[in-house]
Amino acid sequence: MTKVKTKVILEVRDLKKTYGKNIVVKGISFDVQEGEIFGILGPNGAGKTTTLEMIEALRPIDGGVVMLDGLNVAEQPGRVKEIIGVQLQSTSFYDKLTLVELLRMFAALYGVSVRPMKLLREVNLSDKAKSDVPKLSGGQKQRFSIAAALVNKPRILFLDEPTTGLDPQARRNLWELVQNIRDKGITVILTTHYMDEAQLLCDRVAVMDDGKIIALDTPQNLIKSLLKKGFKKDVEIQRANLEDVFIDLTGKDLRES
Amino acid sequence: MKRYFKTVWSLAMYFSRRFFRDGVALFFTFLFPLIFLLVFGALNRGSGNISFDIALLNHSNTDFSHSFVEQVKKEKVVKVKEKITSIDEAKELMGRGEIDTILELPPDFGKTNEQGIPSGKMIVYYEEGSPQSGQTFASIMQSVAKGINSKFVSQPEPITVQAQSTKTANLSSFDYVFAGLIGFSILSIGIFGMANGFAADKKTGVLRRLRVSPINASQLILGTALHYLFIGLMTVALMTIVALIIFNFNMRGDYFTYTIFSGLSIILMFGFGLAIAGWAKNENQSAPLSNLIAFPLMFLSGVFFPRFLMPEWLQGFSALLPLSPIVDGLRLITTEGRTLFELGPQLLPIAIWTVLIYLLAFRIFRWE
Repeated sequence: MTKVKTKVILEVRDLKKTYGKNIVVKGISFDVQEGEIFGILGPNGAGKTTTLEMIEALRPIDGGVVMLDGLNVAEQPGRVKEIIGVQLQSTSFYDKLTLVELLRMFAALYGVSVRPMKLLREVNLSDKAKSDVPKLSGGQKQRFSIAAALVNKPRILFLDEPTTGLDPQARRNLWELVQNIRDKGITVILTTHYMDEAQLLCDRVAVMDDGKIIALDTPQNLIKSLLKKGFKKDVEIQRANLEDVFIDLTGKDLRES
Repeated sequence: MKRYFKTVWSLAMYFSRRFFRDGVALFFTFLFPLIFLLVFGALNRGSGNISFDIALLNHSNTDFSHSFVEQVKKEKVVKVKEKITSIDEAKELMGRGEIDTILELPPDFGKTNEQGIPSGKMIVYYEEGSPQSGQTFASIMQSVAKGINSKFVSQPEPITVQAQSTKTANLSSFDYVFAGLIGFSILSIGIFGMANGFAADKKTGVLRRLRVSPINASQLILGTALHYLFIGLMTVALMTIVALIIFNFNMRGDYFTYTIFSGLSIILMFGFGLAIAGWAKNENQSAPLSNLIAFPLMFLSGVFFPRFLMPEWLQGFSALLPLSPIVDGLRLITTEGRTLFELGPQLLPIAIWTVLIYLLAFRIFRWE
């Protein structure tokens, strides 16, 4: 990627989280540039979600400093929340309110007004404007969740495992959506444990395991350095995989509603 | 500051909108108290006369006994159960609670003596477990016997009792019961409605999602309180309208006092629901806890029967409960027409309880 590095929008220094004797995040540091898609990868239990929730001012920071667009998260959680959008991993929305009403309600939480239909069009949900969330499919729920995270026109959007549980069509659709959001100048930080997703979507990735960052670079550089070590795949490299076959057979169109 | 309250108002508005689309919530909030009102209203309809269901066994064949039986059957307070022939059958019915007492006239009842005066002893049986009705009935029969005696043996009676009903207040027993029913619905909206709905929102993660935004707990709490105040007042209004139309409810107070007092009561009871729901992690914790708090309040605060019927030590204790001044105050407004300025003894404990419970609720509130 030949992106011009503009400005550091998120600065994490020596971040720590402990639950009793359990150290879940063990002093990690990284920077995120404005306008990039930054991925945090790692197996379940690596500390990805805890890290995100500390940055989002949802969990107390036990050690270290997080600076977000010049704001110290520990000291000004309220102001930080104003300029970020968050899609949580395990969350839900009030039922019995339409998508339009929910977006208006979320906008009211930020004291801003919003054009619900425009937002819904952006996430390809205009025909569901009058439904409530329980009637949406998995992919639609995730897209709505992103729309709700955009009501306050955030500088940074956090997505915690946005494609977990989605079918291949819905995943591809969501990737496109994330790229569109980045193209509008919003920095995106996401977690995932799908490597294909990270490779395709992220400008840079941090690999986390056991509460530590064990690698941080662009996906290409990480692959190159592995190959330099003399790594070879056991299997002969195929030019297509089963997912390509699946998409070829079933098409890219979304399967919902 | 303006933004703070705008957010509170929007939350309240959307909460109410959701509520009116929720059939189950509508049923439990509006219809359930109405059913209560209809049942209790029907039970307390009319002038509230006491009556006894009795079995009458006449083993005597005297003329006097026959005319006595006819006389008893004409008594308004007595309903004689027909076709009971043996004492065993009657006792079985009494054991099941179908009749209150048994009146037995022995074979020699009403036999005349030399002077032509009938004599005899009637026997009143009652269930050992519930002596009140038997004893009351026995004393009624005693005064009946005394009335008969005085016709045969004239004796001056220095002291007599004259029972005379007064209709000055013109209140039916329903009018007294009604305040308790309003107290009950305020309690159930504040505690059960709030505690269960809010705890469920915690469990599903809805509150987590709200917390991502810059709102703080007080905005969420105020928005929810406003919503409950709104539906609480609607319930009170609905119940009052039904009472006025169906049960000829005699409202002696002014509606301004009534509305303000109901509103303050709802805010207090909501505080209890909030403390429970704010602390509980899910419905499994909030449901038993709300029962634990609501049931003693329900039975000790004069909801179903006035507190002055309780033993004195219990009255002293129950006066301290938060629902007692609510029910007392509502009763004073509806039956005696008290205004806000005359309700100090009720408003003071309500104010103290409100401060205490909200301090506690804010302290123990947890988002998840």
